[in-house]
Amino acid sequence: MILLEENNRVIYETLKAKFNAAKPESVNIAAVDFDGVQYQISNPDGDKGVINLSAKMRMYEDLVAHGVQDLLKREYGDSLLDAPEEGFDVTLRFELASLPSDKEAMAKKASLLKRNCFASVFEKYFKMQEAETASDETAIVHYHEEEAVYISAQTDRVTVIFSTLFKDPDDIVIGKVFLQEFKDARKAHQQAPQVLFSYGEPPAELSGQPNLLRGDNIGYVTFVLFPRHTTPANRDNTINLIHQFRTYLHYHIKCSKAYLHSRMRSKTSEFLKVLNRAKPEAMTEKKFGVGKRV
Amino acid sequence: MSNLPACVIDNGTGYTKMGFAGNSEPQYIVPSAIAVKEQAGIGDSASRRSQRGIDDLDFYIGDEALSSPNYSVKYPIRHGMVEDWDLMEKFWEQCIFKYLRAEPEDHYFLLTEPPLNLPENREYTAEIMFESFNVPGIYIAVQAVLAIAASWTTRDVGSRTLTGCVVDSGDGVTHVIPVVDGYVIGSCIKHIPIAGRDITYFIQTLLREREQGIPPEQSLETAKAIKERYCYVCPDIVTEFKKYDTDPQKWLKAYNGVNDVTKQPFSIDVGYERFLGPEIFFHPEFCNPDYRTTISEVVDDVISGCPIDTRRGLYKNIVLSGGSTMFKDFGRKLGRDIKRRVNYRLQLSEELSGGKLKPTPIDTNVVSHHMQRYAVWFGGSLLASTPEFYEVCHTKAQYDEYGPSICRHNAVFGAMTFSDCR
Repeated sequence: MILLEENNRVIYETLKAKFNAAKPESVNIAAVDFDGVQYQISNPDGDKGVINLSAKMRMYEDLVAHGVQDLLKREYGDSLLDAPEEGFDVTLRFELASLPSDKEAMAKKASLLKRNCFASVFEKYFKMQEAETASDETAIVHYHEEEAVYISAQTDRVTVIFSTLFKDPDDIVIGKVFLQEFKDARKAHQQAPQVLFSYGEPPAELSGQPNLLRGDNIGYVTFVLFPRHTTPANRDNTINLIHQFRTYLHYHIKCSKAYLHSRMRSKTSEFLKVLNRAKPEAMTEKKFGVGKRV
Repeated sequence: MSNLPACVIDNGTGYTKMGFAGNSEPQYIVPSAIAVKEQAGIGDSASRRSQRGIDDLDFYIGDEALSSPNYSVKYPIRHGMVEDWDLMEKFWEQCIFKYLRAEPEDHYFLLTEPPLNLPENREYTAEIMFESFNVPGIYIAVQAVLAIAASWTTRDVGSRTLTGCVVDSGDGVTHVIPVVDGYVIGSCIKHIPIAGRDITYFIQTLLREREQGIPPEQSLETAKAIKERYCYVCPDIVTEFKKYDTDPQKWLKAYNGVNDVTKQPFSIDVGYERFLGPEIFFHPEFCNPDYRTTISEVVDDVISGCPIDTRRGLYKNIVLSGGSTMFKDFGRKLGRDIKRRVNYRLQLSEELSGGKLKPTPIDTNVVSHHMQRYAVWFGGSLLASTPEFYEVCHTKAQYDEYGPSICRHNAVFGAMTFSDCR
């Protein structure tokens, strides 16, 4: 698995099972997604015929300003409740009696909830770029506890900057190598967006932004998306890929470590073999003639 | 600390159960299988698997592993213990990122281990979890202890205890494990070479002798379906046979299947195997002429082999876990048999003392509950949702300070440690 899946499997499989169940079953499941998203699937007021999917996300507050509600309304229509359940930001309601015929597509769509929320800010800026209006302000979405993504549109490109925090010093090194590969890959694939990264210091585009993180364990990754990435035909794919970039980076750092570990293990077993060969052979009694021992 | 739920992953030999703490059932139950690309050739498995580029990401786990052609399917866990750490690390990689979709840096983890696991294995687990995944904290729990915790749902809060005798019967083998105050008494564990698979084979032979219509290549799965759907435990086989003979209409069931190849439907009668299948726990000589000890006898032996001050507590709390203990009335028959043996022994000692000694009767109790199939996971989910869990977890800071050896010991928690059940 190189790319992470954009939909949430737990949501998809749970809803699929419940939608297709012969008779309504009660459900109460908590689940999570990347970037600290928490879901809850439950029956409101114990009514088994209705399923509520509620989500709580850290970034929702920031997304409200970028039209997330309109996008959700467009995607989910009447399923979206105007007043989410208490403690959550978004609630989708499914009534088992009045589901559309393609239940699987419905479950799939519901499982894309987080992606669709995040998409709102990207769509807004992609459209801005399409209309060739430069945005005067940069959108800031705090998608993680301390990390944020900064998005701004110029007439000819959209710039997306991720700030990310490495909890482990080894991650910085592996992350550096990994991002270097990104840079090199552009030579082979001309159509790829330009990727820049810097450590410790935020890039110049962000100068003037408040609360920027600085420090050795902070990385900034800049994507420059050109019009060919933001055309309506490519837009969804671009959003699918970019909204999970932080998780993708951290996932691959972990995979690289797992790979290094397996190399280390095989090397260790090799060295152990060498050491075992070097052991002096067990002392055997030397016999000098029959029955005579020295 | 964030308020994200802890992840509970129970890696069993056959199936891995994973999900989030606080839920009442695991989100995934997948085979503990991993499908990797492997070159044919000489050398050990590690060197054959050494790859270039991003080939190390090319693998599948769980059900997808079993349905991927051109890959070789491996089971990294044997007899409950992890054998291949390379594969296990990859397995967890996909568990976390593909299935649970949890960021490991934000979630505490509860993992399980079999009784008598090597402390080194705990260290390896800790190394992988802390070094590769940067988890904030882990706790490695013994499966049997979690199975006891899962039985708490059946009783009131006051009598929550971590003393009990776990009868854990999965697909491969059945274990009887005594646990006292959260610690396994390793010297008294016993195994029974009869479990779910043996019942399936037994039903298969019974069907083969009688039924004609089953396509041979489907006979195993038919037997398995019959076992899961129709089998139950009867109080006495002689009366049960009579019941079937006098009123077959009421007791015989029909199983309808479809031949995979010809798509022709077939129908077979399900008769005595409904109660004979699970009966091999209580009459093992039916299927294995070399093994004659019944499950009740083994449980009784295990408990009477334990330290004398723990026995009453163990008799009082015999806990069932695993899919093969799900048969209707399994717990009732086991409880009745054990009670009979215990009472007989007490009576004997009374007689031998010439009536001078009046032993206090021993309370025996077999606990059945709805979560038996994934009792271990459920117990983990229960414990990992308590605030105490976060206190006993080994944290990343401790790991960085002291090294993997901290995970050799995992503190018992969740119940009054000195229970009143003695």
